[in-house]
Amino acid sequence: MTQPGEPAVRAAGLVKHFDGSDDTVEAVRGVDLEIQTGEIFGFLGRNGAGKSTTVHMLTTLLSITSGTAEVAGIDVTRDPDAVRQRIGVALQEAGLDPRQTGRELLTLHGRLFGLGRAEAAARTQELLELVELEEAADRVTKGYSGGMQRRLDLAAALVHEPEVLFLDEPTTGLDPVSRLTVWEEVRRINRHGTTVFLTTQYLEEADQLCDRLAIIDDGVIVREGTPAALKAELSQRRDGAEITLDDVFLDATGRSRDRAAGEVQEVGA
Amino acid sequence: MSATIALGIRSLREAVRQPDALFMTMFIPLFFLVVNTGQAAEIFPSDSTGFLEGQGYGAFQLPITLLLAASFGMAALFLVEEIEGGYFDKLRAMPIPRYSMVLGRLVAEAVKCIVISSVIVLVALPFGITIASGVIGFFLIVALSALWGVVYAGFMQLIALKTRSAAATNSGGLIFFPLLFLTPNFVPRDMLTRPMEIAATLNPVTYLMEALRSLILTDLDWGAILPGFAVLAGLGVIMLLLNVRMIKAYD
Repeated sequence: MTQPGEPAVRAAGLVKHFDGSDDTVEAVRGVDLEIQTGEIFGFLGRNGAGKSTTVHMLTTLLSITSGTAEVAGIDVTRDPDAVRQRIGVALQEAGLDPRQTGRELLTLHGRLFGLGRAEAAARTQELLELVELEEAADRVTKGYSGGMQRRLDLAAALVHEPEVLFLDEPTTGLDPVSRLTVWEEVRRINRHGTTVFLTTQYLEEADQLCDRLAIIDDGVIVREGTPAALKAELSQRRDGAEITLDDVFLDATGRSRDRAAGEVQEVGA
Repeated sequence: MSATIALGIRSLREAVRQPDALFMTMFIPLFFLVVNTGQAAEIFPSDSTGFLEGQGYGAFQLPITLLLAASFGMAALFLVEEIEGGYFDKLRAMPIPRYSMVLGRLVAEAVKCIVISSVIVLVALPFGITIASGVIGFFLIVALSALWGVVYAGFMQLIALKTRSAAATNSGGLIFFPLLFLTPNFVPRDMLTRPMEIAATLNPVTYLMEALRSLILTDLDWGAILPGFAVLAGLGVIMLLLNVRMIKAYD
């Protein structure tokens, strides 16, 4: 297990190309990252900026065109199974098996991560309580609301107590109450020592939750630092003007507020 | 192997929760058995049609019924639904053998096909169809049908993995029409027209159908039974190799 102060995620020159029938799309064009153990790290960008592609490479779901990546101290390409054992993943859409109950799904995940039958059942109960889904535990997930599905997805990602948790836009499409619940869960998970890598389009979410963040635009990182430091740097360049994270985002991506409308949203909980 | 079994149990649970799909899997093939037998039984009376070995025409039609039922597996459609819904990526992010993601569903498909083919044979018995090869023959019939169900579902899974589209997977399933009907399904192979005989001889499903038919109409005739198992073994190995290759390269 990585120790505090050691990088939980390290990427150098990460590149991903997708070969189409006519051309090659360069989705990620040389991303360098270093996320310390115990951090909540935010990865911001508009749709198509390369956030999810980066997460998919770091979580072994996509091959890496070039560059290197280590998660929990393990090379993603050389030993993907060892990485999978140490990470939890909740992707953009809460991908749940619609024909299983919440309890069955969590128990299955426990078994697949190598827990014994009794251990998986106990862990399932613990997680159902954690995400407050005990009452709905024996209903098939198809009938869950969006918020319930997100919470179950989060619980499924935690079943094996991962060292690093990847959350790809965990609150997209959620109502304000569900969003706050997810935020609280993320903080609670992080307090237990889990490093959190979070992608989001919501600037306030990044401001509220993240220790540090990076802004990615057209496949390259254009800003990186703590929210306070990023705002202070821009404020200094603008003669002490009051700066929000969306000002930082717009400055970093070279977009005006008009152009960015609909790409990155300023949504409060 | 434990991941394969855990995923297999999940797939079985999934099937049990879709009883309407299971019902249709049995109803449509039985419907064709009744219709085909009703249409052709007068042309092929049992007492004067040598290839019926003294049984009714329904016994001759039973193999296509079993193969049709085994070809109606839902494994590939459930898989593509999982790919489209994102749960497949969740499984891919787990430290489980890649092959278990496809084998789990195939294990469940085997269990389903064993149940369905057993029920179909048992339903056919009161209507005068007998299994001439006895109890051993019954188990071999069920084994052949179930293995065909697994092999066919495996090839459908390949389409699902390649296209990642429910529409394409559905369309790919239509391949069972030429596979099952370019066979000696109405009369023995030597009574087919020459072009049909050539097509049936080239179609591997023919040997499976002839193995099933021999088990129903005659005592154990290994000369007819073994080619059926050999075809399944060959297709099964190809199907497994392609599935494992596809899932390992899945990006």
